[in-house]
Amino acid sequence: MSNYIPTIGLEVHVEIKSKSKLFSDSANAYGMATNTSVNVIDLGYPGTLPTLNKEVIRQALRACKVLNCDITRKMHFDRKNYFYPDNSKNYQITQNRTPIGTNGYVEIEVDGVKKKIGISDIHIEEDTCKSAHRGSVSLLDFNRAGVPLIEIVTTPSISNGKEAMAYLTKLKEMLFYANISDCKMEEGSMRCDANVSISKTDVLGVRTETKNIGSIHNVGLAIEKEIERQEKVLETGGIIREETRRFDDKLGETILMRVKETGNDYRYFIEPDIPYLELTDEFINDSLKTLPLLPDELKKKYSEIGLSSLQIEKLINNRPSNDYFLGLLEFKTNYVTAVNLLLSDISSYLNKHNKVITDTHLSYEKLVSVVDALEKGELSNKNVKDLIDSLMERDLTLEELKKEFNIKNITDDSFIKDIITKVIENNSESVNDYKSGHDRALKYLMGQVMKETKGAVNPKKASDMLVKELNK
Amino acid sequence: MSKYLDLDIRKIHELLVKKEITPLDLVDEALSRIEENKDLNAFITINDKVREEASELGEVDPDNLFFGIPIAVKDNIVTKDLKTTCASHILENFIPIYDATVVEKIRENKMLIIGKTNMDEFAMGSTSETSYFGAPLNPHDKKRVSGGSSGGSASAVSGGLIPLALGSDTGGSIRQPASYTGIVGMKPTYGRVSRYGLVAFASSLDQIGPITRTVYENASLLNVLVGEDDRDLTSVKKDKEDFTRLIGEDIKGLRIALPKYFVSDIVDEEISKRIKEVISFCDKNGAVVDIVDMQYLDTAVNLYQIIAMAEASSNLARFDGVRYGFRASDVNSVDEMYGKTRGEGFGDEVKRRIMVGSYILSGENAKTYYDKALMVRDDITKEFNRIFKEYDLIIGPTTTRVAPLLGNSKDDPHKAFMDDVLVIPVNMAGLPGLNVPVGKNSEGMPIGLHIIGKAFDEATIYKLASFLEEVF
Amino acid sequence: MDRLSREEVLHVAYLARISLTGEEIEKFRVQLKVLMDDIDKIKSVKDYDDEMMYTPIEDNTRLREDVVGKMLSAKDATINAPKKNGSFIEVPVMINE
Repeated sequence: MSNYIPTIGLEVHVEIKSKSKLFSDSANAYGMATNTSVNVIDLGYPGTLPTLNKEVIRQALRACKVLNCDITRKMHFDRKNYFYPDNSKNYQITQNRTPIGTNGYVEIEVDGVKKKIGISDIHIEEDTCKSAHRGSVSLLDFNRAGVPLIEIVTTPSISNGKEAMAYLTKLKEMLFYANISDCKMEEGSMRCDANVSISKTDVLGVRTETKNIGSIHNVGLAIEKEIERQEKVLETGGIIREETRRFDDKLGETILMRVKETGNDYRYFIEPDIPYLELTDEFINDSLKTLPLLPDELKKKYSEIGLSSLQIEKLINNRPSNDYFLGLLEFKTNYVTAVNLLLSDISSYLNKHNKVITDTHLSYEKLVSVVDALEKGELSNKNVKDLIDSLMERDLTLEELKKEFNIKNITDDSFIKDIITKVIENNSESVNDYKSGHDRALKYLMGQVMKETKGAVNPKKASDMLVKELNK
Repeated sequence: MSKYLDLDIRKIHELLVKKEITPLDLVDEALSRIEENKDLNAFITINDKVREEASELGEVDPDNLFFGIPIAVKDNIVTKDLKTTCASHILENFIPIYDATVVEKIRENKMLIIGKTNMDEFAMGSTSETSYFGAPLNPHDKKRVSGGSSGGSASAVSGGLIPLALGSDTGGSIRQPASYTGIVGMKPTYGRVSRYGLVAFASSLDQIGPITRTVYENASLLNVLVGEDDRDLTSVKKDKEDFTRLIGEDIKGLRIALPKYFVSDIVDEEISKRIKEVISFCDKNGAVVDIVDMQYLDTAVNLYQIIAMAEASSNLARFDGVRYGFRASDVNSVDEMYGKTRGEGFGDEVKRRIMVGSYILSGENAKTYYDKALMVRDDITKEFNRIFKEYDLIIGPTTTRVAPLLGNSKDDPHKAFMDDVLVIPVNMAGLPGLNVPVGKNSEGMPIGLHIIGKAFDEATIYKLASFLEEVF
Repeated sequence: MDRLSREEVLHVAYLARISLTGEEIEKFRVQLKVLMDDIDKIKSVKDYDDEMMYTPIEDNTRLREDVVGKMLSAKDATINAPKKNGSFIEVPVMINE
């Protein structure tokens, strides 16, 4: 049974981040009250006409770049005609003949093997409205109608569920990083349809389309289940029909929705309300200028400056910290220490107060001074914890804060020495234990020192001095 | 009863400035004329707030030529809070929540919208007999049609009910009724006037234009209507110009082409004779008139049928009973809602065109018919451009016959297109074209001259039209 | 007289989502055939180049700046709907997911 070769292609719809919709200036916003993010254009009122959002074109160009596509310089839009209540004009404006991007690829790695998944085209189109079903009626909310989408269509170059998952994970990571989309499958800002066929020969088998699968994990599962199902059908002498299916995650299998009739008759024609769009080099370059570094590029860069792979992973998964950190690279400091700070105290402060780093008083200069002080032993981690709120919230330098928090003495040897002397005097038993070779006693004594100083000394320095005093 | 409305617009303006009359006087006169001529069936809806609006203007000083002048608007141009039916059952009670761009301009110039004029249903037809509200009549002979699709506007202006009206022209719908009723009607260059708020019939052909008693008034009204509109991507940015500026100049040296096709045997003899008189008059006054060969003119109706029906089938898909307009009662499924709503809501002409339009775009037909029509359309445009390298204007008769009797073309789907055989080529090329009356035939029915200009050269058309207007 | 079959009429009527009465079907069998014969004439046009003109506008299309404009209230958005349900517009249940 296993000598069937599966061929899989994915169609992914991604909602583009922008302030306004694709063909109208109502808000492209998620979670607004029913039918309040709409205007007469979104509702397909008679006499209304589309306009074309510049930012969406820019975002689509960025997607082309990220997915290694050729950019179409002169394009038009097309009407895809089909009647459905979620389609306010009963045609969807899309790009059928001149997709903005063609001929790209995404490189994935599965079990240590690299593979390029081909992208046949990227096209821009408008989203439909949302419908909810209540018994014998359906209810329509047009807030989503006209939200900009790009559809990314792969070549049939995917061989199994694992590859599909790797592709989607990579796609999501890149589009999210490039700020093109939120790529939240649970909120529907990324949706995936999977075309699956199997064959024992070079001639492709009849394919089925499994629609709107809800998570990357389920895409992998749905594909594997669909391959199994098709094998079973063929092995038992059945035939595969061209049909649309959905994945039921409770049952863990794909379910038939409808058998495709003699091909959909979408009656495509060129959208006469939108004249040709010809892109200049200047416009394209300008659009791509704001494209941030993508995960693969970041990984390379970060390992070059000595970050650990754990740090790299954490940083990349924490987008605001990552963006902030990229700015820090303009400064000379210890990046490893800086990343540790960013991912620990700073992150927990931000999470706790639900803030973004750019809205705080932690300038790059201030952060660099903190990192440098830590490096020089002029500041302890405990100090940082004490100071963190003030560092973030107040427009004061580290020096000013140290003064205020009275941690000016921590590098003062005599201050530390006084405390050590006191600790030695008060813990003669432990001192004796240490002298008779019990290492644990040193830890205890060190703990006492830290307790006395309320942690405001550099532990290494204090420990060195303690040992020196004990050995006197 | 006063006869202020029969005065030249400049004279009316003078009286308004001197406060000898008020806008309300004009509105009352128009309303009583409409009432007296109810049998013309020129209006579908009268603006019941117009007297109130006129009274408010009584306190204001006139600031432009059209201040306080009543105007009629074709019922396929949306007017906020004023019923807009497109002469269709499906929009019988539709009250738009926004104004068309031209309506905004009319309001900015303090014109008073007296009501919405009768027309062919969704502008599909050439006699206005496809109106759900019955056909408007020709004031010159009430047994005859006033043409179409802007028949109500033509009837109202020709009958002296109102000095100004707006029409729309997809395949002659301004010029042909103007010819049948002996008035001046201009289809401006495609892109001159915003289509935002014009209920689309065939998007790449539709254009709004002025229908008036005189050439001067026509050019002046066009001054108000034009301009690039951010809401219509097919509106074109041009420097502001005064379309009346060449009116009154002589026509010496004007180079005029008369395509053979326009005086072939498809044209009624009396009309051909009158056109020849016009030509010799032009000759005498120093213009050069040459008879020229033009290719593709005889394909225009064919192209028009394909392009207009195809676009219409898509443009009218939005009338589905979901978001606005009529919905059939007792519908239990989505398809039943669509079918019954559209089956009961549309008249025969509209149904025919939508069905054939769907057929044209269906499957491979799109290539055979639609794509090819776009290719030949490009050639007809090039052919016009070739002629315009050597000539300033192209002339011919507007129609092959005078206004036909009512009922003449009923249920003959082919005839509806042949009434516009001479005016349709202009829409294919997006050029400006105007009808100016050049006398009457032996039955007392008006004959019209069709003047075609270069793209965006409406001013030269008005120059010749006004020159002839003085004589014929 | 040349006419379409009932099935041909019903097919284009379905594409257009227009329900027809029996009488209408008979009428349109003839009338649609007349129009289809009309459009067929395009096939006889021989001498043309393959450049297409889908709009007379030659200027590059303008792009809109990404700024949010005025929107409707839920009341206005549904004001013309033949059937509404709270802030929603209501239709018969959409089964054809």
